[in-house]
Amino acid sequence: MFNLVTRFQAATNQALTASVIITGVVIALTILQLFKDDVWNLQTTQVTNFKPTSNWKYSYQYGSINRKPKENTKLQFNLKTDLSHLFNWNTKQIFIYLTAEYPGKSTGSSNKITYWDKIITNPNDAKLDLKNQKSKYSVYDVEKSFRERNATVRLEWNIQPHIGPLIYGSTEELGQFQFVTNEKK
Amino acid sequence: MNIRQQLTQFLSLAYVFTSAFIVWKSLSIIANSHSPIVVVLSGSMEPAFQRGDILFLWNRNNLQKVGDIVVYEIEGKNIPIVHRVMREHHNFEKQLLLTKGDNNAVDDISLYSKKQQYLNSKTDLVGTVIGYLPFVGYITILITENVYFKYGLLGILGLSSLISNE
Repeated sequence: MFNLVTRFQAATNQALTASVIITGVVIALTILQLFKDDVWNLQTTQVTNFKPTSNWKYSYQYGSINRKPKENTKLQFNLKTDLSHLFNWNTKQIFIYLTAEYPGKSTGSSNKITYWDKIITNPNDAKLDLKNQKSKYSVYDVEKSFRERNATVRLEWNIQPHIGPLIYGSTEELGQFQFVTNEKK
Repeated sequence: MNIRQQLTQFLSLAYVFTSAFIVWKSLSIIANSHSPIVVVLSGSMEPAFQRGDILFLWNRNNLQKVGDIVVYEIEGKNIPIVHRVMREHHNFEKQLLLTKGDNNAVDDISLYSKKQQYLNSKTDLVGTVIGYLPFVGYITILITENVYFKYGLLGILGLSSLISNE
C-alpha cells in the first residue's frame, strides 16, 4: 500500500494545502496592513508650477496619420511627496504616475493621459522632491489638437505586492493648467 | 487484473479532469473573460511581473482606468500581452486605450495592427489584472518551450501509472 507513488502523492498534497493556506493568511494580513497604513491617501502631495508646451509632429509614433499635423504636448512641473507609508513587508514596487484629465468634444466624453511615471522599489527612494521635472512622454490627443482646453492634474499610484491583490490610489485634484497651442509651422 | 479496480481508477482520473474544467469555466463566468488566469510570458512589465508569474483577471469593468494593467489580444495574433494603460479616451459609446509595458521605452503602437492607433476596450481586452501569484506558472512555460521537460514529465507520469497498477 505504501509505495513510492502514494507517499509522493501524500507529500505533494500536504505541501499544496499548506501553501494555499499560507498564501491566504499572507493576503489577509496584507490587506489589514494596507488599511492600517491608509495607503489610499497621500495628504502632503504638492504638484505645482505647470509649464505646458506644444509641438506639431508628422510621424506615426507621434500619432500622425498620413503625415497630417498632430499636436503633441509636454508638461514640466514640480513635485513634492512622501510615499514611505505605502511600503510594507509585502510590497514589491510602487508605480507612481502623473495624469491630466480633460473633457472631450461630446457630452459625457473624457480623456486622461500620463505625462510622467516612475517605478520605486526601495522605501529609501520614497521621498520625492522634483524641481522642473520634464515630461517623460510626448502626448497627443484623439483629436488633431488639444484646443487650449483646461486639464486637471492628479498624482496616482499602483502598489504591487510580492503576492496578492494590486492596489490603486489617487489624490484629489492637485491643480489645473491650460494647454497652449503653437502656431503651425 | 481486477476490472473493477481499473474502472475506479479511470473514474477518479476523469473526476480530476472534470473538476479542473469546472473550476476553470466557473472562474471564466465569474470574471467574464475567456481566460481568467494567465501566465506572464515576457519581461516587458518587469520588475512588476516576471516570466512565469500568474495573473488573475477581471473583465466586468465598464471603463478601464489609466494605470490599470490589462491583458489584450490583437486580431490575427494569438499571444496575449500584459501591459499598463497609459491613456484613455472615452465617450458614451466606446473607450480607446493606449498601453505601454513598464519595462519598454515606448508605447505599444508598433505592437498593434497596421494603422491601429488605439485598443478598443470592449473588443480587444481579455481582462484587467486584479491579483498576482509569483513564479507558479513557470511550469507551463517549461512544458511549452522545453521539449526535454515535456517528454520527461510524460515519461514519469506514464511510468508511475504502470508501477501503481501492480
